[in-house]
Amino acid sequence: MTALRALIVDDEDLARHLIREYLQGHADVEIVGECENGLDAVKQIGALAPDLVFLDIQMPRLTGLEVLELTGRRSGVIFTTAYDEHAIKAFELHAVDYLLKPFTKARFDDALARARTLHAPAAGAPAQAPALDALVARRGAPLERILIRDREQVHVVAIDAVECIEAQGDYLAIHADGKCHLKPQRISEIEEQLDATRFLRVHRSFIISLAHLQAIERPGPDRHAARLRSGKRVPISRSGYEKLRTVV
Amino acid sequence: MHPLLADVRKLLWYELAWLVAAAGLAALLRLDEQATWTGALAFAVPLCFVWSFDMLSGYYVSRSQPYSQRRWSVTLGLFFGASLLSGLVWLGAGETWNALGGEILTGKPFITMSSAGWVIFFAAGFALYLLSLLAHDVLVAFETVQEAARREAESRVLARDAELQMLRTQINPHFLFNSLNSISALTGFDPAAAREMTVDLAQFFRRTLALAERERIPLGEEVVLSEHFLAIEKRRFGAKLNAALRVSPEAALCQLPPMTLQPLLENAIKHGIRQVDGGGTIEVDALVRDGWLHVCVVNPVGDDGPPASGHGVGLKNIRERLAVLYGTRARIAWQRSATQFSIEINLPVDKEASQ
Repeated sequence: MTALRALIVDDEDLARHLIREYLQGHADVEIVGECENGLDAVKQIGALAPDLVFLDIQMPRLTGLEVLELTGRRSGVIFTTAYDEHAIKAFELHAVDYLLKPFTKARFDDALARARTLHAPAAGAPAQAPALDALVARRGAPLERILIRDREQVHVVAIDAVECIEAQGDYLAIHADGKCHLKPQRISEIEEQLDATRFLRVHRSFIISLAHLQAIERPGPDRHAARLRSGKRVPISRSGYEKLRTVV
Repeated sequence: MHPLLADVRKLLWYELAWLVAAAGLAALLRLDEQATWTGALAFAVPLCFVWSFDMLSGYYVSRSQPYSQRRWSVTLGLFFGASLLSGLVWLGAGETWNALGGEILTGKPFITMSSAGWVIFFAAGFALYLLSLLAHDVLVAFETVQEAARREAESRVLARDAELQMLRTQINPHFLFNSLNSISALTGFDPAAAREMTVDLAQFFRRTLALAERERIPLGEEVVLSEHFLAIEKRRFGAKLNAALRVSPEAALCQLPPMTLQPLLENAIKHGIRQVDGGGTIEVDALVRDGWLHVCVVNPVGDDGPPASGHGVGLKNIRERLAVLYGTRARIAWQRSATQFSIEINLPVDKEASQ
């Protein structure tokens, strides 16, 4: 059996210590690094390409799920969490294994064994990727912020600042605070993640924030456009107009 | 009590208005050449003064018929009956005062008025009283609506306060499970520390539970509870978390609502220390100056990203809670700079509650 290279991500020293201790009995696992926050984890996952990541959910800077979103990592992850209703609901929904703190050595070994089979999949073993894909796409609670990775930097855009989102090919152009950020994502996916009471898909290629909506204009018969507080104009489709009329 | 009788200034304005009315009545009588100026005034002023109080009784007549259980035939009968009675009283008082008062003071009646004049006099009294009843009815309806709104607002605050009270004594699951995980880790290499942390955790929760039914506690008690809390958090976050509590002996004796300080520390760790790479120190200062208790908490904050949600809600809750207990006398203010967050609470030192 090949050695597994493991990365431990948790902001609490004692929590990392416990995982180190539990791993001592497993000679085939080598600890290649430890991270104290989500941002560091994004960098280390990129730099070290570990086989296995012990990933805490509640962390400063970035949550565990945001780390997955930014790194695109979809396998070799064991989640740990003390208490997070939304995350646990999502884990259950997508049948993703997770460790609830505090956990026993037996439970830990069990999760590790499962991760091993996923790492070197025998015939017929399920892959982790589809489940994690679904987990990242639908994480239970509406988005509070949007993360954009720009090479080594991560931009955090507060959801309140977002005025509209525009689909541009394989990218989303996220307009916020007078700036425009590009993020590789499908518009239908982010539409599902956003709070439906605050954002509305008014067009095939546009989602607007209702808080930033200033007026609905009528540039021609049967044609509508939304004017946002920043002065930006966004086209509204016929079905988008119907939806908008029910909420405004 | 009638709102006018409860407020001396309003009552004076009301009487002033009646004085004008009395002058008007006297002028009418004079114009009709039924009396001299002196006679007309001597007749009208005392009569109107007494009458002004009779008019106020309309408030109680109106209140005796609450809107919710009103039968209009009864109310209408009552209003007309009361007005008729008042009209008769007005007429009787007028005639008696004119004859008797005039006889005693001037040797003859103040005014000479025909029978038709007295009928008009009676009709005016009747109409005025009916008008007063209707005006009072509107006032009472207005009061009822205001009272209902006030009661609703009050019950809303009480309900939220009860909810907060419950939340305060509830165990924060995130804190509990993480602490247990830390204890689990410590047992492997530092059993003595694990034991200490267990005791701190037990002490913290025991003290929290003991606060549930108390309305005020000395700040000193909350400081002890907060020290247990900080001891646990220090184990979890290690060298990242430092705290300096400076509470003057005088401040420690001051009474304040339980769980005012501890949530501030919890916030300072969750939104401050945890988000800063190297951690930092939470500074707490509590002192008494000029009859006011000042409690100030300062902590470093991270420079990136918007603050996680929930922060503002917690602070608003504290502000509303203090507003319910202290009214406008409690002051709470917070500000966030690029590197630190500070919050200050000012409360009057309540001597009566200090037993």
